[in-house]
Amino acid sequence: MAITYDLVRSVTRNLYEWSLKRIPEDSKAALRAAMADETEDTSRQALGFMLKAAEKAEQDDTFMCSDSGVPTYAVKIGTNVTFDGDIKQAIKDGFADLVETIQPPILKFVTNPLTGERSYHGKEMPLVTWDMESGADWLDITCAPSALGAGRWSALEIFSYPTLDQIEGWIMDMVVRAGSQTCPPVHVGIGIGGTIDVAAKMAKAQTLRPFGSANPEPILADMEARLLEAVNRTGFGPMGTGGRTTALGVHIDYASGHGYTPVAIYFNCWINRRTRARLHESGEVERLE
Amino acid sequence: MSEHRLTTPLTRDVTATLKLGDTVYLDGSFVATAGYPTHERLMRVIEQGEAPPIDLTGTAFFHMGSSSSGESDVRRINYVNPTTSTRFNAFMPTLIRHFGFCALGGKGGMDAACAEAIREAGAVYFSMIGGAAPLLTEGIERVVETGWDDLITQFRLTRFSAKGFGPLTVAIDAHGNSRYADLTDAAEAKLSDIKRWLAEGRGA
Repeated sequence: MAITYDLVRSVTRNLYEWSLKRIPEDSKAALRAAMADETEDTSRQALGFMLKAAEKAEQDDTFMCSDSGVPTYAVKIGTNVTFDGDIKQAIKDGFADLVETIQPPILKFVTNPLTGERSYHGKEMPLVTWDMESGADWLDITCAPSALGAGRWSALEIFSYPTLDQIEGWIMDMVVRAGSQTCPPVHVGIGIGGTIDVAAKMAKAQTLRPFGSANPEPILADMEARLLEAVNRTGFGPMGTGGRTTALGVHIDYASGHGYTPVAIYFNCWINRRTRARLHESGEVERLE
Repeated sequence: MSEHRLTTPLTRDVTATLKLGDTVYLDGSFVATAGYPTHERLMRVIEQGEAPPIDLTGTAFFHMGSSSSGESDVRRINYVNPTTSTRFNAFMPTLIRHFGFCALGGKGGMDAACAEAIREAGAVYFSMIGGAAPLLTEGIERVVETGWDDLITQFRLTRFSAKGFGPLTVAIDAHGNSRYADLTDAAEAKLSDIKRWLAEGRGA
């Protein structure tokens, strides 16, 4: 048995559709907890409105946001997996299927940066990161098409032998620069070290971690807790209504590098699109998120 | 803070009473677009002394994307949702003054130059909650007309009729006050204290 082209094509299509019509369960729990902690009436109402919108999207089988993002997948391939067919092409074709069949229709967001032209396809689309998992016999796919509002405030800086004070200070500068334009309460992902591509990839990947998941690295676990509190002390609040709920989570990863240290920050908006499935050679599709 | 049910176009008498943080539900109509090229075209229209394809004089003008299906006179609304207004900062003072918009809207706010133009026009800026499309869309009755249909859907000028469209939050008022400027100023003022708190708490 092998994981087939057809299976990957249909699963990647469906993961995208599901991601547009719901928010992750851990986001719902985090929004409810934030509502209980929120000190400002207007901000609490905004959080309540968000939760109600999420409920209605599921009920009515419709989108949370008009900006359906661009197709973005994180794929992890078990080293013991065998494939039947062109898996890379399957993801491309899965998105083409989505465009043709999804209801309501999605708008054109795939943008050629050289000409400004917008369509449903383009060079390097879908955007896919590929990783390997030693010894596994599955294919794990996460779909996380984030929108423009949050995505455009991502940033990256190269430091030489930075202290943690400098790194945390820069993160806070970027949070204040973004203000409430990222559709808060946001999910903040940080990547420290490696090279610029590695730092950026880690930052995005950290926004795929569920809220409440523990960081195994004690220095980072401590940073995450302090930075979450620090971001919430800025006072932008849900959609800029003020209050203390500017972020629902700050998640950080690191990689060894040379003496210079890239630091990347990635914001995801409150709808925190994320769906995930694990495909087995038997043809079984395990829906994880 | 209070709640208002208002009908567009909003008069200066009405906008003058609205305060930052007030909640508004709108009836009437407004024009929306999410397009950067649309704003560029509007600037060209003004420069060349021409008129846009649909009348924008005194209208409520929102930064919002939308999708609808069917023929132009019976279009069914699929969804609407605000987009970030700061992307259009460079155009908005000119557009606000030229067309005399009675209200602006979107998400993320606009800069000080826009707030000044809003004050001069006696308009207000309404903030919408992004990503709550299923609820926001309930306040849209129908598409009244569209202009520049050669552009992709969300870039066209689209006039909607609205019934109880909201909730909208007054985020820049007719007197030049801006919730965004207030929040940013407050955050910047706190920033060095927050950084000190971060450093002192490390490993504690």
